[in-house]
Amino acid sequence: MAYGVKLHVWGDRACFTRPEMKVERVSYDVMTPSAARGILEAIHWKPAIRWAIDAIEVLKPIRFQSIRRNEVGSRVPTAAVRKAMKADAVEDLRMVVEENRQQRAATLLVDVAYVIHAHFELTERAGPGDSEAKHLSMFNRRAASGQCFQQPCLGVREFPANFALLEDGVAPVSELPPDQRDRDLGWMLLDIDHANDMTSLFFRAALRDGVMAVPPLNSVEVRS
Amino acid sequence: MTVLAALNGYYGRLADRGEVPPFGYSTERIAHIIVLSPDGEPVEILPWQSLSGKKSEPRPTAVPQSFKRPGTTPRSFFLWDNGKFVLGLGVDKVTRQRVAHPANHAAFQELHRRLLAGTEDAGLAALLRFLDGWSADRFDACGFTDAMLDQNFMFMLDGDRNDRGEPRFLHDRTAARRIWERAVAEGAGEEGICLVTGARQPIARLHPAIKGVMDAQSSGASIVSFNNDAFTSYGKEQGLNAPVSEAAAFGYGAALNALLARGSGNRLVIGDATTVFWADTSGGEESAQRAEVLFHDLLSPPAAEDADEAQAIRNALLPVSQGRPVREIAPELDERTRFYVLGLSPNIARLSVRFWLEDSFAAIAERVGRHWEDLRIDPAPWRTAPAVWMLLRETAPLGKTENIAPQLAGEVMRAILTGGRYPRSLLAAVIIRMRAGDPVNGVKAAICRACLNRDSRLGTKKTEEIPVSLNRDEANPAYRLGRLFAVLEGAQRAALGDVNASIRDRYFGAASATPASVFPMLLRNSNHHLAVLRKGDKPRLGGWFEGEIGQILGGLDSGFPRSLRIEDQGRFAIGYYHQRYSGKAAASTEQAVATEQTVSED
Repeated sequence: MAYGVKLHVWGDRACFTRPEMKVERVSYDVMTPSAARGILEAIHWKPAIRWAIDAIEVLKPIRFQSIRRNEVGSRVPTAAVRKAMKADAVEDLRMVVEENRQQRAATLLVDVAYVIHAHFELTERAGPGDSEAKHLSMFNRRAASGQCFQQPCLGVREFPANFALLEDGVAPVSELPPDQRDRDLGWMLLDIDHANDMTSLFFRAALRDGVMAVPPLNSVEVRS
Repeated sequence: MTVLAALNGYYGRLADRGEVPPFGYSTERIAHIIVLSPDGEPVEILPWQSLSGKKSEPRPTAVPQSFKRPGTTPRSFFLWDNGKFVLGLGVDKVTRQRVAHPANHAAFQELHRRLLAGTEDAGLAALLRFLDGWSADRFDACGFTDAMLDQNFMFMLDGDRNDRGEPRFLHDRTAARRIWERAVAEGAGEEGICLVTGARQPIARLHPAIKGVMDAQSSGASIVSFNNDAFTSYGKEQGLNAPVSEAAAFGYGAALNALLARGSGNRLVIGDATTVFWADTSGGEESAQRAEVLFHDLLSPPAAEDADEAQAIRNALLPVSQGRPVREIAPELDERTRFYVLGLSPNIARLSVRFWLEDSFAAIAERVGRHWEDLRIDPAPWRTAPAVWMLLRETAPLGKTENIAPQLAGEVMRAILTGGRYPRSLLAAVIIRMRAGDPVNGVKAAICRACLNRDSRLGTKKTEEIPVSLNRDEANPAYRLGRLFAVLEGAQRAALGDVNASIRDRYFGAASATPASVFPMLLRNSNHHLAVLRKGDKPRLGGWFEGEIGQILGGLDSGFPRSLRIEDQGRFAIGYYHQRYSGKAAASTEQAVATEQTVSED
């Protein structure tokens, strides 16, 4: 992992929704690899590179809280969008939020902090001008100065993530209590395979001494 | 472990005890057994009844799973069904006449001839012969009666009994089980990875309905459901959004329904959160059951009938409140027993998980002990230990359970079980009740103390622990003002007796929030009360009040604060309670006992 990066992210709240409880949301105990990838991509991404998460280190005690909020229960159907495109008119393309209220509960994480260990690979779309060193220094420069394409978030948009590049590679001291450092996290979503009919990929997640190792996408540990 | 995986594991434990049907089977009320000879003759019709109360009823039995039968084409169940299907005969509801139902019987024949074709099992072969030989005119000769027809029949081979002499039914025979397993698998949907087991299995499209959560729909609500298109992702439909195998979905549903059943002993209703809990059997089945009973007692201590019983309960739970290890309370309990607690709240047709906790039982008991320790206050407002619902009731207008703020119950339970901070809204709710004129009783003062204590212990800014009983040297101004308020109220009562609106009724809220605007006036008025006492027949009492006021004011260095923060309003209430009830342990306990008896859990 010559081109590995380490990013410290933290925030007041986070919700990494479990697929089986995504309606009345319940968060996973730990940030998921796809959420970590989203944070990295918010800071630097080009078609020429693909981020891969190697490990996620948990720095704060795992604590939950539950809230209730109003959300929207439906979405604009694809057919309506198509019709609007064909008619070149958007008058009918609307949703009245007041008519589609859904009260939903969420059990989410409070006061989280992680170190994301990741690296990237060049994709087939990399041109002659793309080199790993170039993208690495771009990422490092952007992350160190706090630049991002959009505000990175902790699972859902409502919970923004703060981030800091660990340039010297020294992670902050973990406050994770000993009884939470090793635990089985069950089957966790690794990512969505968009190239392959949007298949969900899962892996068996576990914390070992406060670190969740993430298998590569094409390894045998990953099931779809 | 995840919620569903842990529930699925508990299903295994229930299945070992024989309390839940296996996958593909359901518990149905079966009334009669048709005993077949090997060549398919119905030898006799045995009643299969259970006694519930006075009358005997069809007995619930695990049989191949039933399904809903909408539409007009009859579909038969496997190896059991009612008279219309099994015998082709029913009783008309209006005329009370026996009527033939050839279509239903044909469906029964078709299903069994298809599934049992080529069977070598003696019992199943007998059933096929029975179907060949059956005709409606043999009805009376075989010992059937009209009264049987509306009820369910199942079959057994003559003399087929297990080691204990209990009848073994056709659907219990190994060959029948194997055929049914194959039939269930063929009807299953798309395969995929199961989130619970990790194996490739047929995925459940719809998840089981969970019954028994307070205030949820009585027909059942779902934990896993996708009933609006905003809830689905990537164009996936229903259960495919969260792939869980049919077997795992059946398992967690059966286990959760068993936990939520009335009288299961594994369920507590506290506020709007229905809590279920269970232990795993790493320490043995007995140890697991002991842990479950103990957990119930910890969060909802049994109501004592009399003083002796109260003492017994107190003695039993005392080691917990002192933070002693679990083996002193329940020596037969394996301390490493893993314990699971799940709090559920309804959201119309869905259930939301309010909290989920997995830990060793010893750790949980220790945290409950710490919770009691934080709540400790003198004089004690309860005889044994406070049940959680009793605390929450103090936050609700009119003391009604349904007025408890939503979310609060779940958050309080989470704080107790994880040892984390109590929700901020708990302290606020109690203070609002006191300012609104509810009596400032020991339970409310204890809640204030618990919230403040825990915050100071877990917070970054360490402050001193709140005293358990009256501390005359405590320098905190809010605490002192609370005491002062109690003294002024005492002086008024001693001088004037019961008045329509005492200074507590009128000024408690203002005094605890904005002392500077109230206390100078209260002190002026108290001069009058003290004068009445001095000139009347209680001059010594007047002197005592005067001395007490002096002692309290002497410790307040810089006048009255303009306003108090919510934490200080809590200290004010504690100081008030300490001063008001110190040395009156007996009276206050009497009062507490009275309230304990007037209220019972739902």
